[in-house]
Amino acid sequence: MRVLAAPGDTWGIPGPTFLGFYLLAGLAVVIGAIVHRRRVLAGPSSVGGAQLGPQQVAYLNGGNQLAIWTSLGGLRGTGVVGVRTDRRLAVGGSLPAGATPLDRAVHHAANQGLYARELGRDRWVQQALDQLRQGLEQQGLALSAARRQSAQRGSFPVFLLVLLGGFRIFAGLSNGRPVAFLVLAVIPLAIASALLARVPWRTRAAERALRELRRTNVHLAPASGPAYATYGAAGAAMGVALFGTATLWAMDPGFAEQAEIQRQALSGTGSPSVGGCSGGSSDSGSSCSGSSCSGGSSCGGGGCGGGCGG
Amino acid sequence: MTGPGPTGVGIGWRPEIAGFVAELPGLRFVEVVAEAVAPHGPPPPGLAALVERGVTVVPHGVKLSLGGAEPVDPARVAHLARVAELVGAPLVSEHIAFVRAGGLEAGHLLPLPRSREAVAAVVANVRRAQADLPVPLALEPIAALFDWPDDELDEADFLTEILDATGATLLLDIANVHANARNRGADPLALLDRLPLDRVAYVHVAGGAEQGGFYHDTHTDPVPPVVLDLIGELCARHRPPALLLERDGRWPPAPALRAELDAIAAASGYPAVT
Repeated sequence: MRVLAAPGDTWGIPGPTFLGFYLLAGLAVVIGAIVHRRRVLAGPSSVGGAQLGPQQVAYLNGGNQLAIWTSLGGLRGTGVVGVRTDRRLAVGGSLPAGATPLDRAVHHAANQGLYARELGRDRWVQQALDQLRQGLEQQGLALSAARRQSAQRGSFPVFLLVLLGGFRIFAGLSNGRPVAFLVLAVIPLAIASALLARVPWRTRAAERALRELRRTNVHLAPASGPAYATYGAAGAAMGVALFGTATLWAMDPGFAEQAEIQRQALSGTGSPSVGGCSGGSSDSGSSCSGSSCSGGSSCGGGGCGGGCGG
Repeated sequence: MTGPGPTGVGIGWRPEIAGFVAELPGLRFVEVVAEAVAPHGPPPPGLAALVERGVTVVPHGVKLSLGGAEPVDPARVAHLARVAELVGAPLVSEHIAFVRAGGLEAGHLLPLPRSREAVAAVVANVRRAQADLPVPLALEPIAALFDWPDDELDEADFLTEILDATGATLLLDIANVHANARNRGADPLALLDRLPLDRVAYVHVAGGAEQGGFYHDTHTDPVPPVVLDLIGELCARHRPPALLLERDGRWPPAPALRAELDAIAAASGYPAVT
């Protein structure tokens, strides 16, 4: 059946014709955006979890704050960091061999008597975190600001199509034309546009590595009641990195309480569209990586958005 | 037997040290507390990985109450049987003890009086259990700080009669041998000389501590040198096919735990698993 243009058609295009083209265009644009996104977010196929240190894992799993807790957990595990009665951190020994730049920065900050919650504001700690992040970006595990923007750009055509649909609905309504089907077409597109605008901060390769690590380190989950003395400082650090500060509380409740470390349990299902979660206090400054913390990632307050659990 | 029995030096698998156990390169044998394994689901992840590696897993029951006066609970036997099938065990083990009587749970293993009546009760229960188990059963006598006043048999005769009547093998706890001798002022070697050592399926080695004039079989302390020496004496008489380190808490750093396994290997002449 051929639909002819009638004088009353919005923009001179009959509703069914516009709707048909609109749906086709929507499909094409969404598929294009998904393909683009998958390519940008892929990351290297060669990186396995076994190649990552606890602080790298922590950064990928929970951002700056979790990397700090992981360093603190490792240092506490070796007994070189303690806490004073006034809740400020203290140093109980020199750094162990194999200390990372972040360990050195946290150790230095503890030596200055900072509160645990202040660690993220320390200049040295921030520098060490930047170094950590850059290393992960170079490995293709964390997404740089540029790559995140590139991934986000994929959603622009979808957004433009949503705008077009919106204009047509507006024009149609003003014209007294039926718009119900168009509204039904625009709603899913708008949802797709919003979802595609949310960009994770780690690549799929990082997701894979984290999944593998959670599986191979399930014995470090606090629910297993891990024998931290047996697993040593490295095990404690990996426990914090994968399962949150619940590990610190399970390992050394006296220290965790005295140092006012917020209890946070990370479940094993990090959703790719959820950004960095800060387990720390809500005043811990930039808990998300990079310059752009997308609206999708809910940070702070100790609670985590989406799949990170809380 | 559905497969080879346990051999060499093993360690009691516990979720708390699953990561440590998983990384023992030479490990061929672990034991798991049967009641800690869900009968229908898959085994705990770390244990499943060991089964895949071909490590022999022996379910160790603690709640069958074979020494109870009432018949053994068929549901508990069925659970032990299912766990054995789940991990492909060549045998299962249980204690010669009672944990409940008249419907009351004691919460831990209680020793039996060594009487003919007790032998008959244990034998009847062991036979009931054996009838429903897919694999052989090894029996473990427990440590006791005291003897019942009406004991008719000594430890060796008591055990031998039960083993003879049931065809079960013996799970010998070498730390208990030390504990029982130490706490009663007896000679552990005299007991070793009289036990049917050719019937030993494997040996438990656990740590303990002296406290208040008694040796306590704590499972949370290091294995004392005197128990390691006793392993040497045991192996000089008849070397058991396997020895297993039982540690249930206050876990030491990994190197200390490895050193304990190495010490058991050295005392028994089996290859180190670390």
